[in-house]
Amino acid sequence: MAASGNARKVSEAITGYLFISPWLILFTIFSLISLGYAVYLSFTSYNLLKPPQFIGLESYRRVLEEDLFLQKALPNTFKYVLIVVPIQTILSLVLAFAMDQKLRFRRFFRTIFYLPSVTSSVVISLIFIWIFAPQGIFNQIMGLSVNWLDDPRTAFYVIMGMNIFTTSGTLMLIFLAGLQDISPSIYEAAQIDGANGPQTFFYITIPMLRPVIFFVVTVGVIGCFQVFDQIFVMTAGGPLDSTTTITYLIYKWAFRDTTIKMGQASALAVILTLIILGVTILQRRIIEGSGSSAER
Amino acid sequence: MKSLFKLLSALLIVVFALTACGAPATPEKVVETVKETVTVKETQIVEVQVPAEKTVVRLSGWASSPSETALLESLLYKFSVENPDILVKYEPITGDYKQALLTSIAGGVEPDIYYVDIFWWLELATNDALLPLDDLMAASGVKKDEFIPALVEAFTYNGKLYGIAKDFNTLGMFYNKDLFDKAGLAYPTDDWTWTELKEAAAKLTDLSDPNKPVYGFCTPPDPGRFPAFVFQNGGTVMTPDFKDTTLDSEAAIGAAEFYTSFRAEKIGAMPSDLGEGWQGTLFGKGQCAMVYEGGWLIPYLRDQFPGTKYGVVMPPAGPKGEGNLIFTVAWGISANTKNPEAAWKVVQFLTSEASQKTVLESGFALPSRKSLQNSDYLKNNPNSAAIFNGSFNGAQPFFWGAVGSDVNDQMGKALERIFKENQPVADAMKQAAEAVRKALK
Repeated sequence: MAASGNARKVSEAITGYLFISPWLILFTIFSLISLGYAVYLSFTSYNLLKPPQFIGLESYRRVLEEDLFLQKALPNTFKYVLIVVPIQTILSLVLAFAMDQKLRFRRFFRTIFYLPSVTSSVVISLIFIWIFAPQGIFNQIMGLSVNWLDDPRTAFYVIMGMNIFTTSGTLMLIFLAGLQDISPSIYEAAQIDGANGPQTFFYITIPMLRPVIFFVVTVGVIGCFQVFDQIFVMTAGGPLDSTTTITYLIYKWAFRDTTIKMGQASALAVILTLIILGVTILQRRIIEGSGSSAER
Repeated sequence: MKSLFKLLSALLIVVFALTACGAPATPEKVVETVKETVTVKETQIVEVQVPAEKTVVRLSGWASSPSETALLESLLYKFSVENPDILVKYEPITGDYKQALLTSIAGGVEPDIYYVDIFWWLELATNDALLPLDDLMAASGVKKDEFIPALVEAFTYNGKLYGIAKDFNTLGMFYNKDLFDKAGLAYPTDDWTWTELKEAAAKLTDLSDPNKPVYGFCTPPDPGRFPAFVFQNGGTVMTPDFKDTTLDSEAAIGAAEFYTSFRAEKIGAMPSDLGEGWQGTLFGKGQCAMVYEGGWLIPYLRDQFPGTKYGVVMPPAGPKGEGNLIFTVAWGISANTKNPEAAWKVVQFLTSEASQKTVLESGFALPSRKSLQNSDYLKNNPNSAAIFNGSFNGAQPFFWGAVGSDVNDQMGKALERIFKENQPVADAMKQAAEAVRKALK
């Protein structure tokens, strides 16, 4: 009896693995192996033409001595995260809160706000290029003549604005789901106790949303650290490196330079992973420290 | 029932894994005997043996325009008629060509013949990815001096030739005839110097219409234009051994001062000032009266701005004479090819005088053979002739060694800093030189 039970367990496990195998195989080939290979490459010097040569931590040393990384990519990336994440989180929370009210045409608005998120980032980048062209519609409406994407002082902010515009819709949807998860009885209790609108929002809604906020901020931080396609399409890291981020620098070293620096690019990719890991752990600590509801 | 399902899923996965890991095709000599059965009257069956021994050669390049691709395909068809024993497979790469090529080399599945750009070919040669062509050339009696010397030199490394230029371009000074007429100026000639260029730019500039300002001479912060001025000022971008940069030399700084003075004096502009990414468009629109561009502008103007009347002369000489840039792409043969002779035959055919004449007459590019300098086509097309002859007048290859992309980046950024941040010219060039030196380490 016990033996047959065991066999049953094993066969169930096999069935289970069979079911997830399509994903598992793709994940192994395209993510896990590539990931491991990138870590290996980060300890080598590799130009694609000759086999990789092991050079230990040399690539890491080079990355950490590179001005383009220290003075441009690293600060730019942190600046991007620090500006985009708070704005998109607050904006999407406000949007979600508004969409949770019994407004007229609320379904219509929900669709409109979500639309940018389902549009290809390349398409939106192109639209923004035209909007912010010197003779573009933005300058025409505002009566300005700024060359937004060609000016080192403004280009990065245009990209930030675009990213906030595109991601807020998705985050709004997540917040909306969180909001609708809060039991109406809690609000009723608060009402009976005489709490007004703002009080309910700050003392009921926000604390109840804490796990969702943690999720949104984490996803936002990780996404912002990896910003690439918009920059690739809109500015290619320029003007004057003002929009060069870590991921763009990885791409530049790995594919753009005359002498391909695959090792150095892989080293930077590993460093970026460590940065994201560190920031996420730190974030978890902070949010857990200020309340207990981060654990579900 | 359950086990049947399991079996099916397992099968599905095996099939999936097999299709996912199919080995990519590698070039090889295919020897096969094709048996054809022919049915003749009264069900009599006769067996005919057709020996078919074809050497397969894969050829790759980027696809810049449909008509250019069609031209190459027609040449390859001609080749296949003349050489029935060689089968050329044309595999154009769309998108990022260099990235695709390098990864195919890394994977050992690169084509036998491929385009190599002057800007990065040396990287392939020094890493033994390209085959030296000298022996193959000698064996088939093709001489180096049949080609334009600058183009042979451009693809030579350690005394060996690694590519036969398929075509080339230099910079010409395009000028808008209508704007010259309007300003009452005589058209430029090949004898112009910097002085005339500056004077004409001042007279051609007309900013009276704020919606359509006209600038005399457009100066993009483009590393593909600026070095011509450095050469004209007697300078260089790199030292001859490419171990150091000379961007902070007096000649280079002087050239940068001259180049940026047009915009500073409001008789020149960057294309982005006028809301365009490329000055070719502005030239077509009549907002840049004079621009330095290559032969590629000619078909563009023909298609997009057929009404623009223009001429082309060689770039005006600077204080130290003439200077120009050569942009060129060559046919290279992979060092790992299994059929070097067949591959060379293809390259030889594509760079033969007959093929090059077809290319020239199609108007897409200028051929690399010296003998075509006196062709009727160039006599009847002075604009193309100006670009062709530019290669004999102080032209140097658009190539800055192993850190070429850094050098280009830094030249572009130095000009941008001068234009956008008003950095003093000498400081900008010194900063660029320092950055290049750091990259060289």
